[in-house]
Amino acid sequence: MRLKTLTTTMALLAVSTLAITACTPQDATGGGASAVSPDAIKVGLISGGAHPYFQPWAPAGEKAKVDFKLGDVTFNETAAWDQTKQNDVINSMVANGYNAFGVFGVSPTDINSTFANLAKHGVATAALGSCPAGESNAADFCLSTDTQEAAYKAAKAAIEAMGGKGTLAHLTGNNVDSNTQRRIAGVKQAVAETNGAVTLLPDLTDVDKDLTTAQKAVSDLLASKGSQLNGIVSTAYNPAVAAATAVKDSGLKIKLVAIDDDATILSAIKDGSVSATVVQNPTGQAYVGTYALSKLASKQCTMTKPGEIVDSGSFVVDSKNVATYETERAEKTAQLQKDFDSKYLSCK
Amino acid sequence: MSNETSPAGAAKRRQGIDFKRYLTSPQFFLVLIIVVLVGIIGSAKPNAFNGAFVIAPLLTSVAIFTIVGLAQMMVLSIGQMNIAVGNMAAFGAMFTGLAFDLWKMPFIAGLLVGLVAGALIGALTGWIIAKTGVNSFIVTLAMSFALLGLIPTVYTTLSPGSAFTAKPEGMEFLGRGTFLDVCMAGYCGPAAIPVMVVPVLLVVLLVGGLYSKTKLGREILLTGANIKAAELSAIPTNKRVVLVHAISGALAAFAGILLATSTGSFTPAIGNEFMLQSFLGPILGGTLLAGGYISVTGTFLGITLALLIRRGLELFGAGIEMLNVFLGLILLVALSAERIRTVRRRKPAELPSETPPDQPADRQALSSGATA
Repeated sequence: MRLKTLTTTMALLAVSTLAITACTPQDATGGGASAVSPDAIKVGLISGGAHPYFQPWAPAGEKAKVDFKLGDVTFNETAAWDQTKQNDVINSMVANGYNAFGVFGVSPTDINSTFANLAKHGVATAALGSCPAGESNAADFCLSTDTQEAAYKAAKAAIEAMGGKGTLAHLTGNNVDSNTQRRIAGVKQAVAETNGAVTLLPDLTDVDKDLTTAQKAVSDLLASKGSQLNGIVSTAYNPAVAAATAVKDSGLKIKLVAIDDDATILSAIKDGSVSATVVQNPTGQAYVGTYALSKLASKQCTMTKPGEIVDSGSFVVDSKNVATYETERAEKTAQLQKDFDSKYLSCK
Repeated sequence: MSNETSPAGAAKRRQGIDFKRYLTSPQFFLVLIIVVLVGIIGSAKPNAFNGAFVIAPLLTSVAIFTIVGLAQMMVLSIGQMNIAVGNMAAFGAMFTGLAFDLWKMPFIAGLLVGLVAGALIGALTGWIIAKTGVNSFIVTLAMSFALLGLIPTVYTTLSPGSAFTAKPEGMEFLGRGTFLDVCMAGYCGPAAIPVMVVPVLLVVLLVGGLYSKTKLGREILLTGANIKAAELSAIPTNKRVVLVHAISGALAAFAGILLATSTGSFTPAIGNEFMLQSFLGPILGGTLLAGGYISVTGTFLGITLALLIRRGLELFGAGIEMLNVFLGLILLVALSAERIRTVRRRKPAELPSETPPDQPADRQALSSGATA
């Protein structure tokens, strides 16, 4: 087989692809704006990869499907933290008739291109759990924790537990993620407000890959700086779980403020070894996100302000409200849904 | 071992066996599996022929990964390997990103900066291998670690969000454009064919031409087949090794840049997925790990098969665990079937004693080890 064969193969491929998709007249338009019934709406909830944070998305999506009588709501976590794979997953689902997507973008600097491409073909989009980096949001809306605000709340709680002075360490996730940069800014803001009474150690980033990575990072931190530390604030899931166990086992008098509501952390709050945790609202993101997406996909509603960024809420949970915070979170979710109806969506 | 036999004898045989040989080649076998798979996927999921959302993204991936496969195939042709193929892609793409973001260069100039950076890092790797005689696996592994540390450091130092996001004119067109954007006389091309396939086809033809049409290509293959024989034939083998690694680096960089233009920005994560695919394509396509025999068509078909399987499984909504299990199983079956086919075909033939284990006997009769 020579160069001729190569050319033939390439030509055959080109011709067969052309045969499948003929040329398009220049003035051809995408879909019209006629109403879509709820049972024709199929929503895809796409996480960045497998991570415990996204687990509430699946049941919340199922509940939304039943409550709003939608055609289908599917949770897909096969993106494996790769933007190309995430795009492939979304594209395959569009081909299978999905017409609305809530996406936790793997690469915050790239996800706007994905949203823009979907919008071009009349697909409703939402950035869930993480907003695109930079000034603009090409999705119809972003429903996510205000990560800077949540990190600020967590750092304030840690500083308060430390008695307003001492040395604080900050454990967080993927340094490339713009959310991580916002978390770092939030913690720095809280430390700056102490006017030098609290010293912040250099941020420990990229320790949220998995629990083993987090455990190693935390044990290294405690071994090298444990005796000087007065407080730890973790703004990522895995290091929070790792730190809760490690601080308890080490017997050091370190005040820990964690993030999210893993069972380890909740039980540590109950026994007093963890001072507080900042819980986010992934259930609300998936449930209200699906609700708003279904409204947009029905072509009956549009966003009042396209690209609106909505805070899905964050709550400080300590020994006082550990038993009752779920009620507070459910109230926030209900409020979010009302806000979409009254403020963010404008319907015919 | 040499794949060179008498050109006159080969020419005589070629006329008679060309068609039969084509029907029994690994490339034909791959085409067959691809056609069967497309048939199965197409009949079970008629929407699999959705131009904008299935075919165009699939062709974009095939285009990018064919270049990745060629980057590895170049090095395999001299009997070496390039473990740093993904990191070299990230290195080249990083320079293109720098050129766009910090140096405000236009698209083509930035692209060239990235290609040169890729070629230089490849040439350096090749030079170390040629000068020290250390195994290419060790040298490229060391290079991949060095780049793994260097690239994120440069990104964090020079960009606020660890990504270069500038988009000069032309980047969007190459990376995400399809022929739908190319309009003439009131009609536009199909949305199923990405613009990217054009430069990729050009590069594929250039690499194919290098091996099948030029003396340099034959010298490279002979270097891979038997370095001592090549030296005795007055081929400057060290120079060929450096050249091959330089081209491999430039191809890897090209793939990295294409990936960045298609996803939208330049990040340190570019190339993370390249290494396994880079071996999969050439090996499925019949390129020998031992060197001296390559197939550009095979590499393209191997990559197409691997990506088609993945896309097909995604269309059927396979979960992450099932996706990997299926992918592994199908590739295993494809490779075993190809192996059984080769062994069955070899039975009646007299094998020359120096035939490598994976080499079909009649390939020895070819005038060259290169198939394009």
